[in-house]
Amino acid sequence: MATEAAPMDEKAKRMRDLLSSFYTPDPSISTPTSSISTSFDNINGPSFDADQYMDLMIKKSNLDVLLQRHVQMAAEIKNLDTDLQMLVYENYNKFISATDTIKRMKSNIFGMEGNMDQLLHKIMSVQSRSDGVNTSLFEKREHIEKLHRTRNLLRKVQFIYDLPARLQKCIKSEAYGDAVRFYTGAMPILKVYGDTSFKDCRRASEEAIETIIKNLQTKLFSDSESIQARAEAAVLLKQLDVPVDSLKDKLLEKLEQSLDGLQINPDEASKLAEHNVSSKDEESNNQGPAKIHEDAVRGFSEAMRAYREIFPDSEERLFKLARALTTTHFENMELYIRKRVSAADFLGIFRIIWEDVVLMDEVLPEAALSDLSAEAAQVTLKQFVARTFSHLQQDISDTLLKFDINQKEVVDGEVLKVVLEASGKAVLQGTTDIFQEFRQLLDENTGIFVKMNDLLIGWIQKGFQDFFRSLESHFLVLSGKTSSSNETEGLVEGKSSEKIHAGLILVLAQLSVVIEQKVIPRIAEEITASFSGGNSQAFIPGELCRVFHAASEKLLQHYIDTRTQKISNVLRKRFKTPNWVKHKEPREVHMYVDMLLQQLEEVGKEVKQILPQGTFRKHKRSDSNGSNTTTSSRSTTLHSDKMARSNSQRARSQLFETHLAKLFKQKVEIFTKVEFTQESVVTTTVKLCLKSLQEYVRLQTFNRSGFQQIQLDIQFLKAPLKETVEDEAAIDFLLDEVIVAASERCLDVTPLEPPILDKLIQAKLAKSKEHNNNNNKTTVSS
Amino acid sequence: MQGGSSGIGYGLKYQARCISDVKADTDHTSFLTGTLSLKEENEVHLLRLSSGGSELVCEGLFSHPNEIWDLASCPFDQRIFSTVFSTGESFGAAIWQIPEPYGQSNSSTLECVASLDAHVGKINCVLWCPSGKSDKLISMDEQNLVLWSLDSSKKSAEVVSKESAGMRHSLSGGAWNPHDVNSVAATSESSIQFWDLRTMKNVNSIDRAHVRNVDYNTKREHILVTADDESGIHIWDLRKAKVPVQELPGHTHWTWAVRCNPEYEELILSVGTDSAVNLWFASASSDNQASERSAEASRQRVNPLLNSYTDYEDSVYGLAWSSREPWIFASLSYDGRVVIESVKPFLPRR
Repeated sequence: MATEAAPMDEKAKRMRDLLSSFYTPDPSISTPTSSISTSFDNINGPSFDADQYMDLMIKKSNLDVLLQRHVQMAAEIKNLDTDLQMLVYENYNKFISATDTIKRMKSNIFGMEGNMDQLLHKIMSVQSRSDGVNTSLFEKREHIEKLHRTRNLLRKVQFIYDLPARLQKCIKSEAYGDAVRFYTGAMPILKVYGDTSFKDCRRASEEAIETIIKNLQTKLFSDSESIQARAEAAVLLKQLDVPVDSLKDKLLEKLEQSLDGLQINPDEASKLAEHNVSSKDEESNNQGPAKIHEDAVRGFSEAMRAYREIFPDSEERLFKLARALTTTHFENMELYIRKRVSAADFLGIFRIIWEDVVLMDEVLPEAALSDLSAEAAQVTLKQFVARTFSHLQQDISDTLLKFDINQKEVVDGEVLKVVLEASGKAVLQGTTDIFQEFRQLLDENTGIFVKMNDLLIGWIQKGFQDFFRSLESHFLVLSGKTSSSNETEGLVEGKSSEKIHAGLILVLAQLSVVIEQKVIPRIAEEITASFSGGNSQAFIPGELCRVFHAASEKLLQHYIDTRTQKISNVLRKRFKTPNWVKHKEPREVHMYVDMLLQQLEEVGKEVKQILPQGTFRKHKRSDSNGSNTTTSSRSTTLHSDKMARSNSQRARSQLFETHLAKLFKQKVEIFTKVEFTQESVVTTTVKLCLKSLQEYVRLQTFNRSGFQQIQLDIQFLKAPLKETVEDEAAIDFLLDEVIVAASERCLDVTPLEPPILDKLIQAKLAKSKEHNNNNNKTTVSS
Repeated sequence: MQGGSSGIGYGLKYQARCISDVKADTDHTSFLTGTLSLKEENEVHLLRLSSGGSELVCEGLFSHPNEIWDLASCPFDQRIFSTVFSTGESFGAAIWQIPEPYGQSNSSTLECVASLDAHVGKINCVLWCPSGKSDKLISMDEQNLVLWSLDSSKKSAEVVSKESAGMRHSLSGGAWNPHDVNSVAATSESSIQFWDLRTMKNVNSIDRAHVRNVDYNTKREHILVTADDESGIHIWDLRKAKVPVQELPGHTHWTWAVRCNPEYEELILSVGTDSAVNLWFASASSDNQASERSAEASRQRVNPLLNSYTDYEDSVYGLAWSSREPWIFASLSYDGRVVIESVKPFLPRR
């Protein structure tokens, strides 16, 4: 098929080419491709040479081919002839139809000219008639027009004559708007003819207008009128060409003055806040001060809106006013929170302010009030957080100091315990409450708060961190541990360290433990529970725990220090005063022992109130014993030498035994770490006192009697001390040390005979018993 | 505890309280120490650290008539020293000279240069003028301050001036200002008093009760270190003496003595009745950092305690830095044991 179709196509193509070459004068343009390929053998080309083609054909082809070619060519020629005939026929047809058409046109046009002439004639006659009507009516029309003009003029004159009366009527009915409209309408005429024809009229109307202006001005400045009415009056005045600027100034001044009334008085703020809160419950009673305030602010913003419309150029001042109101709001708020304010009240006020700001912002969006108030709110909120914390600290220190008035009672009663419990509660409860308050702040969804939520969380965390840190340093200041070097704290100024009661220090120490173990973990828990999303980690409980742990240890140590210092003073006086070298024979136990025991008793009482009881613990012997790595050439026979030389009196050998015992006794660890137990603190205090006693003894030189006095005193101390102290071995050791020290510093060591010692001690005991009884009696009788 | 192994020990026969660096001996690191025995024959030991620094050798042993409560070596003559002694009933002070070829005989007698016998009460201490060449001395009893002029060649000491501090102020010790030879600090019952030696007047005082010991920082002017019984060590800047510049916790029991290192201004040694010697690092003594200090201190509450030497059997009373090798110090516990330690591992890096 394809092979068959190809020659068919070729044939048709050639036909088309032939035809087109016939119609187009330049064949090279119409069929450029074929002309290029033309050669001698192309029968369609212009350069076709029949002879040459013939030659080529004869040379190349055999007979069959030639014959075939011949037949083919004959057919082609025939075809061409028929095509040619067809074309000629078609052309002729077209020609004939064209001639027919032209003939028809010629016959149609003929006869149109007559109609046209008729039309022209008719139009001419219409025109001449209308001209006639026009001229006949002209005079009448002119007359009518004249009459009309006169009537208008007369009406105007009438209006002007009526003007004063009309204005008076308007004044009566207070329709100032109409009056002004009339007057301004008549104005041009009055201006032109006012001096001549309408003199009286003008004067009368001007008088009327003056009263109108006066009335309008009074209206403008009267507070009883509504703001809209006043604004209208202002508009009218402006229309009357009354100088508006001065009016504007006056008005704005008035507005400024009205600001004072809008301020939230810090004193009344709480009332306002209360009502704001309570008004939720009792919607019916809307006439609370909060409502009044809201109305006032609404009025104010309405006025601003009106003024803004009346005086477009007054925007700046209005901005200033609005900003001033906002700032005074926040300033007052700051004043307000200077006092103790609950978060609810704070929020109440804040809401009111925010509403005000929103109201004003609606009127003056360009004043950027929300930005301004956002900034101010941040400052205020931050301050509020800080203040809340400082109030809490003040609370705690108040609780601590409240009880510390009568020192006598402190020791005897349970006052310290009460103080500790109260202050512990104050800290725990206070921090929890504060946290709750902040939760309220966070839950608040007034626009401004939502924005500040993240900031607020940061502040709260930082607030807690700072609070605990400052609480710690405050504790140290209270305890007198940190000297007044940082007097900015200034809370306990003038309280010298001696005046600070030791019990308070103990309370502080234990309180620090409470804070470390209870309060901080709790706050940490709450913070993580509440601000799980918070990314700022300003609150570091671990660090605070460490701080308070250190503080508690420091304070406990300080307590012991203050206590031992007191005892040290007793001892110092005891040893400085007498001349020990010329001491008289001991007759009784010296009274300083009583003082010493009394002091220790006080310690015991205080400690019992505050600290937990420890598990009884055997004293640990020093394991560092024998680590004597220094090469010592000392002869260990010092004491034995000395003692060997002394005579063999019974008493002396007794002393010798103490010495020997000391040599063989292991070194007792005197200074162990203090623990937070009653026993540990008492023991440490006693140990330190005995050590001091030993050191004081070492600084003196004794005669025989002096030594005996010391011996007696120490002997007496033995029993009561052992009762109070858990670590008997150490006490024994230290008491012995005192005796040894005294014997070393004694010119003539002759200890008291045990019977005498016993007798004197018994006497003392009896005496103190009697004294106690007497005391009891007096207390009973009284 | 860790410092214990480096210690070099030496035992005195009796109990002792005082030890002094022999500053004038520039060839050796030497210390003088004296015993405190009420009933026995007291001795003064001249100790010398062997050149290797591994041994403490007794270079001289001299008998001293009475128990020694205070001992100070003359800053310009290594053979001269002063003692305060007690017979048990009365006190005395004297200047001694070590006999010429010392170290030959085991217990040669000391030559008494001068007796400072202007006192009646309990004498506390004798101070040598720290300037080096000056022959001025101060002796102090509980009420009086006496300035002496010593002529060692003539073997005499004359009272230059004497002033009573008053009955109320019971003086207990003092230190001569190394930056100002006219100023002496004296500790009393209720305050630290500063005396001007030209006028012999108490010109200034810091109210601080029960200060047991005081020492000037030799490197930094105006810095003074005090030790209290109960409340530890305080560092003062004399220009603003209201409050201490820094507080150090001191010792578990009393802090008996403090000494500033003669070379490394931050190092302070203290000894206490808790049988320990503590080495402190107190950077606060530098005054140009004082402003930064408060902020810095709060930021880094570094433990200022560099080391605690606890290898003692009894209270430590005697303490002296070596001026020749300033990283070496001698300490003396009441049981008569001298221990020499080196603080080299703790020296501040420069």
